[in-house]
Amino acid sequence: MLYRSKRLASPMSLLIVFGLILTACQPAAAPAPATEAPSGPVEIKIAFFSPLTGGAAFLGTEQLAFARLAVEDFNKGMVPYHATLVEEDTDITPDKAVPVAERTAADETILGVVGPAGSGQVEATAEIFETAGLAHVSPSATRPSLATAGNKTFFRVVPNDDVQGPTDANYIADEIGAKNVYVLDDQESYGTNLADTVDKVLKQKGVTTTRASVTQADTDFSSLVTTIKGSGAELVFFAGQIPSQGALLAKQLKEQGVDIPVFGGDGFFSSKEYIDDAGGATEGSYASVFFQDIRGIAEAADVAKAADAAFPTWGNFGPPTYAATIVVLEAAVRAHKAGNLSRAGVLAEVAKTDVKILGVPFKFDQNGEVIGATFYISQVKDSKFVQVFP
Amino acid sequence: MEEFLAQLPQQLVNGLTLGSVYALIALGYSMVYGILQLLNFAHGDVYMIGAFIGFLVMSVLAPDSGALLLPAALVVMLMFVVAMLGCGLLGIGIEWFAYRPLRNAPRIAPLISALGMSILLQNAVQLTLTAGFRVYRTDKLIPLAAGIDIGSVHLSAVRGLVIASAILMMIGLTYLVRRTKLGKAMRAVAIDREAAAMMGVDVNQVIMFTFFIGSALAGAAGVLTGLVFTRVWHTMGFNAGLKGFTAAVAGGIGNIPGAMLGGMLLGLIEAFAVGFISPTFKESITFFVLVIFLLIRPRGLLGARILQKV
Repeated sequence: MLYRSKRLASPMSLLIVFGLILTACQPAAAPAPATEAPSGPVEIKIAFFSPLTGGAAFLGTEQLAFARLAVEDFNKGMVPYHATLVEEDTDITPDKAVPVAERTAADETILGVVGPAGSGQVEATAEIFETAGLAHVSPSATRPSLATAGNKTFFRVVPNDDVQGPTDANYIADEIGAKNVYVLDDQESYGTNLADTVDKVLKQKGVTTTRASVTQADTDFSSLVTTIKGSGAELVFFAGQIPSQGALLAKQLKEQGVDIPVFGGDGFFSSKEYIDDAGGATEGSYASVFFQDIRGIAEAADVAKAADAAFPTWGNFGPPTYAATIVVLEAAVRAHKAGNLSRAGVLAEVAKTDVKILGVPFKFDQNGEVIGATFYISQVKDSKFVQVFP
Repeated sequence: MEEFLAQLPQQLVNGLTLGSVYALIALGYSMVYGILQLLNFAHGDVYMIGAFIGFLVMSVLAPDSGALLLPAALVVMLMFVVAMLGCGLLGIGIEWFAYRPLRNAPRIAPLISALGMSILLQNAVQLTLTAGFRVYRTDKLIPLAAGIDIGSVHLSAVRGLVIASAILMMIGLTYLVRRTKLGKAMRAVAIDREAAAMMGVDVNQVIMFTFFIGSALAGAAGVLTGLVFTRVWHTMGFNAGLKGFTAAVAGGIGNIPGAMLGGMLLGLIEAFAVGFISPTFKESITFFVLVIFLLIRPRGLLGARILQKV
């Protein structure tokens, strides 16, 4: 061993140095730590969970921008109160969310959570939050079972897939008039449930459906496309969470001359990845989403303007995050006024929420579901999402 | 049956495209195993880096906004050249850092080192380029609908490029191994390292070249994947490396024509599994078939029987 150490010294030590340099150079993309608030005003600290990296990073970064905007607006308008956002990256996988949730639950100063963003992640972390008594308001998790699981700390400001599924399926059967649909999911919690719901409703309406699954790691759909071609399907419903996969499917459909649209759920609603990166292949395809474009709402004009200034492009994921953040913060204010600024106080107040944010009313039922929300369907026309329903 | 026959030719094209990529990756595994009896687990990540290099070249020469800075054919050529060179050099670097110091260590040591190298590469890319998906804008270089129709089969231009370039590279490699002095040296080192050294072969240099060529092929495979399947991300090397390794074993590990055959076969099995059985169980079916195959013929398609010297 000894005689070899001289030979080892050169490459091994270089490797060690290289490794040290790598760990020291963290790029700015890493989540920022919570900023220190000035003393005096009432401190409200909340955590924010979303996929800041990974396949759904487009969603996370938009949500983050709007959450930050909400905190800024809150701090400006509610002076004795000061909110801080602890930003956490959970990627779109459940196993990344769990350690982050445990860390958040252990931090006693955090009073509420905005997020997690994905249904699989809510499922993985719900028990951790319930044990810690932390209210978690999701701006984008749509799987119905999340609310019926009996968790008293789960809330969401968007409607669930029991609404999305039938909305999409009815549109496909009635408006588009497809008689033969290929229904795909990506074998994740959100996708399988949504695809099953759509499949069920389509069958009820007498549409022929073929059901299949792919995975989020799949890079090639060409063999599947050949099968779709052979099945005579007029539309592919793809319940996935990674828009670049939807774009890939559309590209490969076009490549083999199968001129049918792809219909995605809210998981595909990203202009950059679903439209721009597809190079025109998704023209005529659809995606549904759980919040309307706030540019059409008068009360939301200020927020829209601020968002345009701060963020290059944004769609329909940011506004519900803004709403969710305000819901938690306003609940904290009410809890403080009632003399109980704690996790339990915040949780009780979130459940009693009855506010209007961005011109849209928010009120929760006993399961944490928001009351009265609908889904919106958009089609890609001229490389832009154009709302076609309602 | 009719539907089967109707789809068969197109699925063949799909399978050959996939198979070409797997074959190029498998070649790297087989070559390194043949010479060093080492399974280079970092090979899949070299492929991933090749895909990223190609992406970076493309984003410079074919920017998102506006026109190409160079004619499309030249851009594609450059992507290949830079990726192959970059990966070749990376391969040499990996050999020098992670495997050379352990050349005489027990076999498990370089194996662990390879795994460590793989993790290092994946995380290096994630740290510098973030974990998002990058999308090749192949449509800027080669229009989506370009291709030829042979009967019911649509052979798109990109797929034709993938299959043709893979075949060309495999022919080039076979020529290199069979007809050149370097190839002879490689074969000699693979048969008996000590004897080759005694015959005047510079073993270190031969090993270096082997890594260079194997990694360059992986880099080319990365660019081809980017062109035809468009999405690249930092963990894509894992799956592709696994498939490439399996293909190399199925073809007979250490055997170059075996790796090519194994790769093509794997691609075809995967395409047929999706097309004729079920897309949901694609991976399970593919690996199940391979397990059964290896149980029947453990040395692989073209593998040599291991002689037990008594």
